Amino acid sequence: MRRSLALVWRTLRSMRTALVLLLLLALASIAGSLVPQAANSPEAVAAMARDHPLRAELYARLGLFDVYGSWWFTLIYTLLLLSLAACLLPRTRALVRNLRTRPQPAREVDGFRHHAAVPVGASPAEAVAAARRLLRRRRFRLSAPDGGAALAADKGLAREAGSLLFHWSFFLLLVGVAWGKGTGFTGFAVIVEGQAWTEAHANYDGNLREGTFFGEDHTGIRIRVRDFEDRYLPDGQPTDFVTRADLLSPDGTLLERVDIRVNQPAEVGGLRVYQYGYGWAPVLEVRRDGQLLAQAPIPFQQDPPPRGVSPLSLPWRGALKLPSLSPQLGVELDLWPDARGLVGLLAGRPIPMTEARDPVLLFRVYRGDLHAERVQRSADLDTRDMRQIAAGALGLGRTVDLETGEEVEPDAPGLTMTFAGLRRYTVLQVSRDRGLGLVLGAAILMLVGLLPALFSSRRRLFLRADPAPGGAVVRVGGFALQHADRFEEEFRRLVEELGRAGGPIRESAGVGAG
Amino acid sequence: MTTIGWSGVSTTAFSIALFAYLAAMLGYFHHLAFRRRAVVLAASAVAWAGLLAHLVSVVARGLAAGRVPWGNMYEYSSLLSLLTVAGYLGYVELRHGLRQVGGFVLMFAVVTMAIAVELLYVGPAPLVPALNSYWLKIHVVAAIVGSSLFALGGVLTILYLVQEARERRAAVAPPPIMGGAVDVEAPPDHAGSPDEPVGGGTGRRGVLPPTAALDRLAYRTIAFAFPIWTFAVIAGAIWAQRAWGRYWGWDPKETWSFVTWTIFAGYLHARSTVGWKGRRAAVLALVGFVSLLVTYYVVNLWIVGLHSYAGV
Ligand code: HEM
Repeated sequence: MRRSLALVWRTLRSMRTALVLLLLLALASIAGSLVPQAANSPEAVAAMARDHPLRAELYARLGLFDVYGSWWFTLIYTLLLLSLAACLLPRTRALVRNLRTRPQPAREVDGFRHHAAVPVGASPAEAVAAARRLLRRRRFRLSAPDGGAALAADKGLAREAGSLLFHWSFFLLLVGVAWGKGTGFTGFAVIVEGQAWTEAHANYDGNLREGTFFGEDHTGIRIRVRDFEDRYLPDGQPTDFVTRADLLSPDGTLLERVDIRVNQPAEVGGLRVYQYGYGWAPVLEVRRDGQLLAQAPIPFQQDPPPRGVSPLSLPWRGALKLPSLSPQLGVELDLWPDARGLVGLLAGRPIPMTEARDPVLLFRVYRGDLHAERVQRSADLDTRDMRQIAAGALGLGRTVDLETGEEVEPDAPGLTMTFAGLRRYTVLQVSRDRGLGLVLGAAILMLVGLLPALFSSRRRLFLRADPAPGGAVVRVGGFALQHADRFEEEFRRLVEELGRAGGPIRESAGVGAG
Repeated sequence: MTTIGWSGVSTTAFSIALFAYLAAMLGYFHHLAFRRRAVVLAASAVAWAGLLAHLVSVVARGLAAGRVPWGNMYEYSSLLSLLTVAGYLGYVELRHGLRQVGGFVLMFAVVTMAIAVELLYVGPAPLVPALNSYWLKIHVVAAIVGSSLFALGGVLTILYLVQEARERRAAVAPPPIMGGAVDVEAPPDHAGSPDEPVGGGTGRRGVLPPTAALDRLAYRTIAFAFPIWTFAVIAGAIWAQRAWGRYWGWDPKETWSFVTWTIFAGYLHARSTVGWKGRRAAVLALVGFVSLLVTYYVVNLWIVGLHSYAGV
């Protein structure tokens, strides 16, 4: 047991393990970019389940539809964290030790990659003292002064320090990501103009993802949408989406009035609120014998458009479900916010419907079993056990008889549906991520550490001065652990300066690099 | 001048640049084959002229669209090839005199630009709301600068691999008798430096530069690109946080830039710590280059993600 633990630790501590884990993380994420992910494209996952049930079953078993939430992704991630820490700790300890100790002089200086001998006028002790001053000015760390004629110097610990800063910051970043996601949540709020929405678990309508350690502390903050506006160029390219909203505290006091735009989120109570989407919500009224049964704006949805087709030129889909009737009744609805859009599409010349102009609803009425007990999207009608009984088109402000499809007056007898109004709704993304600050800080520190880690180099110099006729001869040796070719030039310059610092040269200088 | 005017200036200058690069590429290749100094000097001059025209094209494009000229794939490609050529002319050729590489770099630029005009061209237009953010502008510029350097490093790496194979084949034959400095003994505690040349080919004449030079330049370019790419990914995450409310969502573009980052981090480790030098590290760099191309073309054009907003 002890031995296998030691083995695990040794494996984790190896840099190769960390890199392999990082690579595995990359491979796993490639899988996630190739297989549709349930969180991002549920339709594609459903399509695969329909068309290739066996493959879909296998993928689902392997967690391939939710790679980033799968147990094996979490495992790789955790192991990477452990491994990073395991291999950084000894390096950090070594750096600290290194910082505490001074360089040690070498007995021989001629064995190094670069070496030179300079005759100087000063005595050996003076020459070494001059070299100390020079090297200190050049920001070298020096060996302890012991009065002897030997000296060691080094420079460039910033490289290792920067490298460690980079690696530790990467570690922190991974921690911050996991913590933020684990304790946070992301959800989507669908709010029709004029309505208020309360931030609570139940109100996300299933569009909520909570972290594993999320403590259910939703805020109860309310968002009241005054209006939503979108603007376009004449060719239909969008230029602006804005939700104008009031943010209210749980007790109803106004906290702030905000304009939420793409790239311009609102922040309230630790939440961030983003403009995410929008749509049309026709206001429908259902009456029986002139008595109002139901009245509500219904958010309509749009299917992803085929490639090259602007979603603006396509209709919006919705459904009206009346499960309390018996037999049950359902109405499939297509909204054309601009009647010209319908004509345009039929004529093969789609036009962008950027605003409501003579909106028209196409409807198909079904009778039978809605299967309301099954999970289904609100815009979809499950018509397997239903029979179509009527169909037609309905303009704004008009009323139809749902059983015949004929246009009638609102107070007509029978079951009627009125297209009473057309409003916009906005989709806001609401999220909380407490790891944001940590992640951003760590990312910045990674960059800060990366620069010295890549571009500075560790250099070491060894020097001794021996008596010579007329003064001393200073022997210098040195090497660089990185950027060796650049060091060659630096070494040559240093040797020259050492010669100058050591007093007037009486004989010709014997500078030479090995 | 009207915006239509600037747009015309931009496309005309783009064509001039493309043809100048093409001509310069032929010149550089001619020089490789026949070693005529006059030809390579002319090629270099033409390439500089092309670069100037290219710069005019990019600036005019910005004026035409009334925004920074990096808002869609066509514009990215244009800027990417501009920076790659500039990196080659300014660094590889002026600083290090490796003219033999010129034809290959220009080939990369020509292909990128040809794909841009043929397949990716769209007229100048303002940005859709999600793309209209200064963080995005910073992110894109950093990504393009980083990509152009990785691309330069990629071309150098490919040439390194080619030349390395040649030198290995040549080494089987009896070596020519040549003078030259011999590095006698390695210093006692001297670990190799990551950018230290490897391979014996320091002097053998060949069509391509010696492996040592290619290897060192490839390493330096990639090491320089890495922090820029890191910054680009961070800036992209900051933008994503503002635009979409999450800094990281594993959308295909994010995933692949992470993969590219990882591979190049592996490459840097291979050079500086694992002690993989030469061919094995070069293969890793090549994988990184391929991953970059996937990030750029495949993800943008074929895999649907939020980033395909950027559209074609
Ligand atoms: C967990 C074990 C790891 C160990 C022991 C380790 C070790 C090292 C060492 C010794 C260096 C060389 C520093 C120098 O030359 O001064 C280095 C550099 C570097 N590491 Fe790591 N590393 C690890 C993980 C990672 C990871 C996960 C990344 C993620 C990207 C990474 C990215 C880098 C980069 C970019 C450099 C700079 C390359 C250079 O100095 O030339 N490392 N690492």
